[in-house]
Amino acid sequence: MKYLDCFRFLAGRRTDELVVTSAGNSGQAWWAATRDSERSFYLDASMSLATMFASGIAAALPQKRVWAFMGDGAFCMNPGMLMVERQMNLPNLVHLLVSNRAYGATSNARLPNVEANDYAAIARGCGLKQVHKFASIAELEGGFDAAVPKKALGHTLVVLEVEPLSAEEQKLEQPPFDGPEMKYRFARALERDTGVSVIGYRL
Amino acid sequence: MDQASGAVKRTEVARRIADELAGCGVKLVASLPDNWISELLVHLDGDARFRHVAVNREESAIGLCAGAYMAGLGSAAVMGASGFMTCVYAITKINYSYEIPLLLVMTLRGAFGDHHKHHISNGLYLQPVLQAIDLPYVIVSRAEELGEIGRAYRHSRTFSRPTAVLLTRDLLR
Repeated sequence: MKYLDCFRFLAGRRTDELVVTSAGNSGQAWWAATRDSERSFYLDASMSLATMFASGIAAALPQKRVWAFMGDGAFCMNPGMLMVERQMNLPNLVHLLVSNRAYGATSNARLPNVEANDYAAIARGCGLKQVHKFASIAELEGGFDAAVPKKALGHTLVVLEVEPLSAEEQKLEQPPFDGPEMKYRFARALERDTGVSVIGYRL
Repeated sequence: MDQASGAVKRTEVARRIADELAGCGVKLVASLPDNWISELLVHLDGDARFRHVAVNREESAIGLCAGAYMAGLGSAAVMGASGFMTCVYAITKINYSYEIPLLLVMTLRGAFGDHHKHHISNGLYLQPVLQAIDLPYVIVSRAEELGEIGRAYRHSRTFSRPTAVLLTRDLLR
């Protein structure tokens, strides 16, 4: 499926979920689809830590649903993250593994073992129970709501098989935030929405 | 110190470290083991004040704690010196770029008294690396100094970046 079609669909299905994006393409695509600057945290260049970051948020706020995008380039750097995710088994966390079979953030450079990698099987091998895979927009439209219910029994992983961004699509704007601005926008919105104290003082 | 009293001391130190963490509001601890902190990790597992998450690699602890901070949950990353040395990218990329506080509790490997040759690299480079990335740290050698854990935690919040507490062999063994 087309990368941007996939993200436009997901943006349309999102209600009040907090979102964490991984470096590069997923941040670009989510920003293009939503222009959200408060309930999305664009975790630039974290090299495989987007779902761990999202796990910390989800553990802190069990009443909030959290979606975490991770490209398969980042995933390949730290697949053991799934062991931690399975162990924590946070029902309010959805790991959206964006499989474009390339290092999208670095000009679609080649991934190791790319033809053989079966991310859903790796996840099942780590003991994850709710594992889903969508390879076309029609499959996604037909199955997403069942795969990602508003109340899940445990941690959910969704593999999204997408085409790499084209050279033209790679020029999409990066989310235009310096780190501290991203931190404060996200934290202040969360404080406002949930009443939690993040920064430690209120304006 | 005989074996039995050594074990009692290690258990007591573990309890006091846990008390210090709880006292400054830590509720989530992410850890990877080091022999010197074995008793501490066992204690954290059984201490209902914490959600103790054993992670697959130290960088995962950095990501997990950063996210916890962003949602208002106090956290700490506990690891060995070698583990910290694998985390420089994650710390500088996440905690420094976004100015996210973090309390690191780690072992001061490779210092006097550590007879393991495989920690020579930590003896040579752990503190220089901390200094090179401007990461404030304090060395704790005696149980009476464990209050530094709370001070380091609070300073990370003021400083909006990580701080570290380095625990010595004299304290832990």
